[in-house]
Amino acid sequence: MDDQTKTLKYLVSVEKLADEILSDKREIVLLDKRRNQNREALRDLVKAKQKKCWVTIGSVLVKHNMESTKALLEADQKQLDIDINTLRSNLKVKVNNLRDLEMQAPVPGLMLVPMSNKETEALSRSGLIH
Amino acid sequence: MASLAAAQVQEVRSITRIERIGAHSHIRGLGLDDALEPRAVSQGMVGQKMARKAAGVILQMIREGKIAGRAVLLAGQPGTGKTAIAMGLAQALGPDTPFTSMAGSEIYSLEMSKTEALTQAIRKSIGIRIKEESEIIEGEVVEVVVERAAGGGGARTGRLTLKTTDMETNYDMGTKMIDSLLKEKVQAGDVITIDKATGKINKLGRSFARARDYDATGQQARFVQCPEGELQKRKEVVHTVTLHEVDVINSRTHGFLALFSGDTGEIKSEIREQINSKVAEWREEGKAEMIPGVLFIDEAHMLDIECFSFLNRALESESAPVVIMATNRGITRIRGTNYKSPHGIPLDLLDRMIIVPTAPYSAQELKEILNIRCEEEDCQMSNDALTVLTRVATETSLRYAIQLITTASLVAKRRKATEVSMEDVKKVYSLFLDEHRSEQFLKEYQDEFMFSDVSGSGDGPQLMEVSQ
Repeated sequence: MDDQTKTLKYLVSVEKLADEILSDKREIVLLDKRRNQNREALRDLVKAKQKKCWVTIGSVLVKHNMESTKALLEADQKQLDIDINTLRSNLKVKVNNLRDLEMQAPVPGLMLVPMSNKETEALSRSGLIH
Repeated sequence: MASLAAAQVQEVRSITRIERIGAHSHIRGLGLDDALEPRAVSQGMVGQKMARKAAGVILQMIREGKIAGRAVLLAGQPGTGKTAIAMGLAQALGPDTPFTSMAGSEIYSLEMSKTEALTQAIRKSIGIRIKEESEIIEGEVVEVVVERAAGGGGARTGRLTLKTTDMETNYDMGTKMIDSLLKEKVQAGDVITIDKATGKINKLGRSFARARDYDATGQQARFVQCPEGELQKRKEVVHTVTLHEVDVINSRTHGFLALFSGDTGEIKSEIREQINSKVAEWREEGKAEMIPGVLFIDEAHMLDIECFSFLNRALESESAPVVIMATNRGITRIRGTNYKSPHGIPLDLLDRMIIVPTAPYSAQELKEILNIRCEEEDCQMSNDALTVLTRVATETSLRYAIQLITTASLVAKRRKATEVSMEDVKKVYSLFLDEHRSEQFLKEYQDEFMFSDVSGSGDGPQLMEVSQ
């Protein structure tokens, strides 16, 4: 009986973490989609000639001042970048936690700080990494 | 750099394993279960249970990083599986752990000093793990539109539409991007990556969805799946390089081509010091991880006293690899001295070692090994032929019996048989002498050979001792 509850508890924790990882990945995709849409919109605003533009907020279409729309979109972009990056770094920790629960060794080198651009360039030019 | 992003999902680059002889190509690991108990026959390993169990314990210590600064000695008669155990250990450590295999006599080269050769071997056995990261845009091209201003010249503008299975988006392009797109001959249906930092474009292949666009395609057409998920991805690649590789690249006179030609020559100690301090800096910043690997020295009795004292010192350093030595000698002279010592290794070094003995195989185990070798060499052998071979192996040596497998299978092929029979084995047994019969023959007819100077008897094996 005690064994059974223990197993169940274990399975629940594994599934919960795995589910979190999957939903985080989904979230990143959705955020990136919005990021790309915002980027397209910003691009179109640069090219547009009129003073006002239409903005959809949920299902409502609003005519809005061009300048403040741009500011809104840019702020949104910044926030999206931050969110995606935090999701990505948290994902690493979660993946290692899950592997730990599943009695697997952590992914080698997952938590390493990446080399700077200059260093990678030097290393790849010398043929050490490719 | 971008080509790297294009490289398939292989996250950790494997370190090339150098296999000294094909005689152990059938070994895939130590053949232990989760509790480190050796299975009777597994992963190409047979018998030798105590030694394998000991190797399993050592493996665990290596994995936990507890064994640096110590060495292991595999001691046993010839043909008792010392090299096999070292190979098995290397396989069990996984592709990420550097494993260098060398024979003791390899250090006697004209190109470099003995200590240099040893230092290089040691540094080949220490890996560092580094990571590179890049932001890339990866997707299948839906459409490329390039608009030229009327009248030829002038600025061009263009639009690129990319999609993944989850989204689709437009990019406006400037002249430079258009140029590199045209240079790469990117067209709708290609799967490409664009490096965000450098803007480099890389073609991964054509999407499977477009596989039927043309009836005839060139050989180089490679079909890939349409990428999944987000368009703008973060690509992380972990590389494992050995300290020796870094040394070679930074030793200016040779450059990185020396890595491939194998002609590295001596590396200045200043360069090594620079690299050590750089790696220490990286470790401090969390940019690199040290992986102490395994250095396997076969025929360790071939090393001389200088090498032993050098090793003694080198084992003290904090990032020393695990040194595994194998020897088949008993109490013998230490090379370079007149002193005798067990295994031909000085007592002070022997004191640092964990000694794992290997014992001769039993007849049943020999049969099992011969069976495995038959499979490895793609050779069908009848049951009684295998029995005869086992008999040969017990009476002469396992190595001789293994050599008979290949030759017997060739003889069987000559007479167009699918299976090696007892007659084939008998035939090659009479064709090829084993060491014992050869010796007997020489003794019988020694007067007819040239320069015969074996006046007495029983002096034969001593002559094989390498003189200084």
